[in-house]
Amino acid sequence: MSKKGRKVRREGTFGIIVGAGMMGALLLAGLLIPLFGKYDANEISAEQLMSPSSTHYFGTDMLGRDVFARVFDAVFVDIGTAFTGVLIPLAVGTIVGTLLGISRNRRVNSFIGSLIDGINAFPFLIFVIALVAFLGAGLGSIILALSLVNWARYARIARTRAVVVNQQGYVEAARTLGYKPTRILFRHIIPNVSSETRAYALSDFIIVIIAVAALSFLGLGVNPPQAEWGAMIKDGANIITLAWWAAIFPGLAICWAGISVAVFSEGLTKRIGEGNQQ
Amino acid sequence: MSSDVKLLDINNVAIGIKRRKRETLVIVREANFDVNYGEMVGIVGESGSGKTMICRAIIGTLERRGASVIGGEVFFEGLDLRTINEAKWKTLRGKVIGYVPQSALAGPNPVLTIEKQLAEALSQVEGTGSMKNRSKELLDLVKIRRVDTVMKQYPYQLSGGMRQRVMIACALASKPKLLIADEPTTGLDVTVQSQIMELLREIRRDLGTAIILISHDLALVDEVCDKIVVMHAGATVEVGPTSSMATPRHPYTVALNSSRIDVAKPGGELLTIKGNPPSVGQWNPGCRFAERCDYVQQDCLVGEHPALSGNKGEHQSACLHSEKIGKI
Amino acid sequence: MEVENVSVTFGSGSSTVEAVKKCSLTVHAGEPIGIVGESGSGKSTLARVMAGLQPPSAGEIRFRGDNVFKGNKSFQSGNRNQVQMVFQDPYGSLNPQLTGLSAVAEAVRIHTKVGKDEAEQKALELLERMGIGKLDALKRPRQLSGGQRQRVSVARALSANPTVLLADEPTSAIDQSAQAQLLKLFLGLLNDGLAIVLVSHDLGVIRYLTKRVYVMKDGVFVESGDTETVFNDPQEDYTKMLLASIPGELGKAARAKLKR
Repeated sequence: MSKKGRKVRREGTFGIIVGAGMMGALLLAGLLIPLFGKYDANEISAEQLMSPSSTHYFGTDMLGRDVFARVFDAVFVDIGTAFTGVLIPLAVGTIVGTLLGISRNRRVNSFIGSLIDGINAFPFLIFVIALVAFLGAGLGSIILALSLVNWARYARIARTRAVVVNQQGYVEAARTLGYKPTRILFRHIIPNVSSETRAYALSDFIIVIIAVAALSFLGLGVNPPQAEWGAMIKDGANIITLAWWAAIFPGLAICWAGISVAVFSEGLTKRIGEGNQQ
Repeated sequence: MSSDVKLLDINNVAIGIKRRKRETLVIVREANFDVNYGEMVGIVGESGSGKTMICRAIIGTLERRGASVIGGEVFFEGLDLRTINEAKWKTLRGKVIGYVPQSALAGPNPVLTIEKQLAEALSQVEGTGSMKNRSKELLDLVKIRRVDTVMKQYPYQLSGGMRQRVMIACALASKPKLLIADEPTTGLDVTVQSQIMELLREIRRDLGTAIILISHDLALVDEVCDKIVVMHAGATVEVGPTSSMATPRHPYTVALNSSRIDVAKPGGELLTIKGNPPSVGQWNPGCRFAERCDYVQQDCLVGEHPALSGNKGEHQSACLHSEKIGKI
Repeated sequence: MEVENVSVTFGSGSSTVEAVKKCSLTVHAGEPIGIVGESGSGKSTLARVMAGLQPPSAGEIRFRGDNVFKGNKSFQSGNRNQVQMVFQDPYGSLNPQLTGLSAVAEAVRIHTKVGKDEAEQKALELLERMGIGKLDALKRPRQLSGGQRQRVSVARALSANPTVLLADEPTSAIDQSAQAQLLKLFLGLLNDGLAIVLVSHDLGVIRYLTKRVYVMKDGVFVESGDTETVFNDPQEDYTKMLLASIPGELGKAARAKLKR
């Protein structure tokens, strides 16, 4: 039995591969360059503000440190912080939102529901900035602030979805089949709710990457001399006309990170969309 | 055969969806049937048989889904629908050709009152009298009582059957020559179903509208239609006048007939068709029903899909061995 | 199984709806019964109560003599699995993230406490009996047709080894050919000794499968009796109307009778 036509390549593969590749390359560079690179990110290795050359690919900053080394030294700091800052709200928000969605307890529902709506009413960045300022600068504060603010956004999505999922036939079937409530919750309800929150997480990731850099730009992030993109941009912004490389390269790194996630998530959306096409 | 212009003539039509670059997924191939003025034609087939796609071709909504007619001709009153542009479609769609979507899916616009929906449909057409009166006439046509109340209501306040009647009313606003009803009763109770069928019959009788009824239910179609078209895996495998179709000449129709609940004895033999319809894009050479066929022979598995025997208007079958049917 | 004077009321205060009003029926082992009525007749609500999904507002449901909703708990643990249900919508009945095999294997594991591999084996056998081959068992619901999904649902329900199977409009959302397959399946299950309660608006389906039928309208049983008798000699006007609506030959015969 021969099949007519060759196998159709699945939609979205391009985006998925390119996106993952870009992020993967960035992470790999963030790993290898600090280990094997020519210069240390914090050593003053040459004159200040030297333009990009064959020895200092990205030039040097105003303290004479190699920008190339610094940009990649910051990879895990920025992306790691952003990642954690998305993971925690995702986990917490999904669980709280789901529990809320399936609970029939009116009082709990309206209390926490109002809390969620209240938090969501505030503009995200302003709230986070205020919290970080309150908690004191530092990566830990950033992650904490992000978690405290963002969980509510995930919880809202999770709650709406959980209400729908809870009414679906397979959940009822699970009940008829006598499955334990914990099993129903964790095996049937949460996976189907988290599909939505995970999708949101991807787009949120991009925003958070930028938010982390923005906070550092405002001076609320890492402590010097740790390299970090936002801080580097802040230092470089003053001298941008003199030494464009000090600010532009960290900026490009942020763009690269953001674009890689965006392309990946587009590809993933197309792939899932293909599956739903009937 | 006759030189009279038919209302609709589907001639060896193939429909494909364009995937990336050179790949085209063929979803309909060798679709053949015609519809005369005032005729009620039933198109029967399982999901994926292509019955809905063919109707999209007639209504001109293929482009939207990235599909197009890639072979054969679609003649409407002698006009080849493949050649017309969007402007011309606008004069046909909703005016001369009406469409009623599946009852389970679409439906009236949830944010508009019934009155507004009907007005919208009527605004496309010339007519005498106020919009309100014309709307009431339409609701009368579909046998809705308490017209004044219903006019002010929103779709969610109506039952499934009522909503479907409203959709039919909108489609009839322009007194079309051809009405395509796509699974109009799926998901509705049998009582409502029989009412809607009765309604369609009356519409045909009183307005002379030709109706294409798409369904998966052979019993339903058998009862109301003049002609039955059976589709399987994108091809028309049998077509003919209902009376003649009582003795089917294609194994698929035979199987469909044997799986009808209304003629089965309680608790008795209920024949089912083995296997499942082949997935789109995974058609094997030869007859696409061969894998599921009880009468399959060697030559059914190779070459092109069998063509329909005879001529349009007769009882045609796309089976190479139709004479063997009933003699196993 | 016995349903005695069961009523189910929804809502509270001024806006209450009595979906089921004092209905009673009995299910005997291996006996197929049908509950027929239009949408809104309360038949689905009754089925859900019988399946233990919600408690009745009044009346009792007994399974093998035990009150199903003792206290506020439903079903004492031993019997809970004996009454299973298949729902109308094949699209929502299965967890979209699980393959047919996973869904059925999960049910098998929970009910028979066997290891993972053995459960999968049993699941495959069960699915095979339902006409779902190995290849299809590994597909996710969205890759399966409506009829196939229903059969997976039935397989899942059967893994609990129930004595009573409630089917709420199992054929309404699927093609005619898939309907035939599903009904044939049910017939086979009947022969194996399963008691089936079929809820439907389609009398043709009821006639094919059941021996006793209860005609429900607005929460009440307006007529009940042996299926054959109700079909050939309906007493109530409502029943006659339902019979006349069946598409095809059955309906034609009923309509002819009506005219006389």
